[in-house]
Amino acid sequence: MASRTTARPLQSILRRARPSCECASVQSTRRQCIRQISATTTKPGAKWETEPDERPRWSYTPEEMKAPYPWKPKDPERQFECNSDPKRLDKFYNNFLGPGGDQVLTDEVKWLAITHKSFDQGRRGFNDRLAFFGRRILNLQTNIALTRSGMATKMQSRPAPNDNREPFTHPKLEGLANLSDMPLGKVLTKERLATLATAAGMREIMRWQPRNPDRLATSGVDVVLNTGIYAIIGAIALQKGGAYANDVVREKILKPLGIS
Amino acid sequence: MKRLRIERWSGQLLTPRTRTRTIQPCCLRQQQQKLASYTARSYSSSSAAKHPSPDDELVFEDEGEHPELSASDYPSIPSYPSPLPSAALESAKLAALHARLGIPKKLPLQTMARTLVDPSADPHKHFNNASLAQLGGSIMSYHVSEWLLCTYPRLPMTVLFAAQYAYSGPKTLQLVAREWGVETAAAPGEEVDPGLLQFSKLEPGTKYGANREGGTVRPDSRSYYRRGISSRVVYDDEFGDAIPKLKDQNEPLPAELAYSNFVKAVIGAIYLHSGAEPAKTFVKRHILSRHLAMPGLFQFKLPVRELSRLCNREGFEYPVARILSETGRLSRHPVFVVGIYSGKDKLGEGSGPSLQEAKTRACVASLKAWYLYSPGKDVPVPSDMESGKGAGERGWEPVHIDMGEVIH
Repeated sequence: MASRTTARPLQSILRRARPSCECASVQSTRRQCIRQISATTTKPGAKWETEPDERPRWSYTPEEMKAPYPWKPKDPERQFECNSDPKRLDKFYNNFLGPGGDQVLTDEVKWLAITHKSFDQGRRGFNDRLAFFGRRILNLQTNIALTRSGMATKMQSRPAPNDNREPFTHPKLEGLANLSDMPLGKVLTKERLATLATAAGMREIMRWQPRNPDRLATSGVDVVLNTGIYAIIGAIALQKGGAYANDVVREKILKPLGIS
Repeated sequence: MKRLRIERWSGQLLTPRTRTRTIQPCCLRQQQQKLASYTARSYSSSSAAKHPSPDDELVFEDEGEHPELSASDYPSIPSYPSPLPSAALESAKLAALHARLGIPKKLPLQTMARTLVDPSADPHKHFNNASLAQLGGSIMSYHVSEWLLCTYPRLPMTVLFAAQYAYSGPKTLQLVAREWGVETAAAPGEEVDPGLLQFSKLEPGTKYGANREGGTVRPDSRSYYRRGISSRVVYDDEFGDAIPKLKDQNEPLPAELAYSNFVKAVIGAIYLHSGAEPAKTFVKRHILSRHLAMPGLFQFKLPVRELSRLCNREGFEYPVARILSETGRLSRHPVFVVGIYSGKDKLGEGSGPSLQEAKTRACVASLKAWYLYSPGKDVPVPSDMESGKGAGERGWEPVHIDMGEVIH
């Protein structure tokens, strides 16, 4: 039976909706001050004014989102150029996912997966949602790999010697002790995944804006690399299915990290 | 009326017993006290004088009925923190729970009993549900998140976190477990029925939650750092909440956490004994079948601005608010119905007692119509491909992947 659950209130960063300011609404009502049901005026044979752009969405910021003139002069020290060459991106995917890795994801998703929210103020999309899903997949696959890992079973810690109870044993529950011995936070650390991503060449192609381009470490490059890795896994799962993504996780992430 | 001779009565009742007389406990509490005193004596190296015999304080009503029993006949039973696995086969509560949930027969009752023991009740890792809960929790998070992303591909991150919490958070899992009919034991111990949830309960009035001391695992946990939404994906848990650093598993914990550990442990146990498909079916039947009103999770700061930025990004015509109808403009309760139009298309409609409110509500409705886009209710999810039957002969069809919410 379906039952109602209490929805959790959102985080405090989203405050309640406030009505728009007085002048804006007065202006709009002045222009469309119609008492009866309004109807749009359509010119006969009018074409769609804005032609759909030929360029791919990942490659440009929509013109309407840009200000008419620069707000303040650009600081040359804060400039950080990101990759915009599709060939370099394909090379990275071939490196990370193996031969044919550039054909796994579609064009837009390939770029979306390595675009952080800081890039272009989030106007070209970002990989948060994909990373959220990818992390769930990675956590699950790591837990499953640990329960099946023969190496970890050999190195299981012994229980306290004072307790002389006989636990209930079953062949299916053998790998369970590995999970308590090796907590996930120690296995899949931010640093290990960031090293893996750097080795595959993600630093050169990922799109982000560091707080300080001279000091990438304190600008959070590790977090951005982690988000990129998770996002690629999430994108593969949504575009190719769960089985494919699980294989990629096992072969390309867990095996290099030593969990099999 | 006869006057009551209190002193005579009290004298009879409070006559001290001699040490040499044999003591026969008449109720369970006294029997356990007796056994506890014996175990204390047998484990400690000091003499019996250190542990005062409870025989002096105990008052027995039926003295002398069983003179053949002596103190030495009671064996010294060590007290375990949780029932032995053999007790699981004799518990009616446990067997009834197992049958009521329709759990496959492959899952033995002893494992089911293990799922009901929290680490705070029994720290021994082969007797508590910590590992099972870790495995089951990750299975449940995966299935809930894939369902949410496939059913609502455009949800903003904050709403996604909130929806994940609403479906699989501790409060919900507590409701679920209570609906299953699982009750808690007053305190953990060996004599507790294996069908009860065993955990160490918090003292009433203990501060828990955000007020606890001890930082989080985030390195940027100073007050001057802003904990943004993007970094929560890497640092925090699946609800966007910071993971506390000092987490001793054997500490007392609130009931909702104990219940949620139990539900996760059941899922983990089903996975290990029966496989991935039965675990997924279990999650679908018990967790994903619940109703959540998604529109109620949204909270917009500046909906008019957000909608105009969205239209700019997507290349729609600039949104314009138009009055569709109104009544009672000069009265005390006017009603204005405003529609937001992008060119010829109406994006959303809202009504309110003032023009500003109606316009704001119309913008909110338009944004919700965008963010709550759904391809349908029974969408194929990525884990369908894991079972082998897959999503039909055509294989896996890529799910719609959205760019992200509007940042303004």
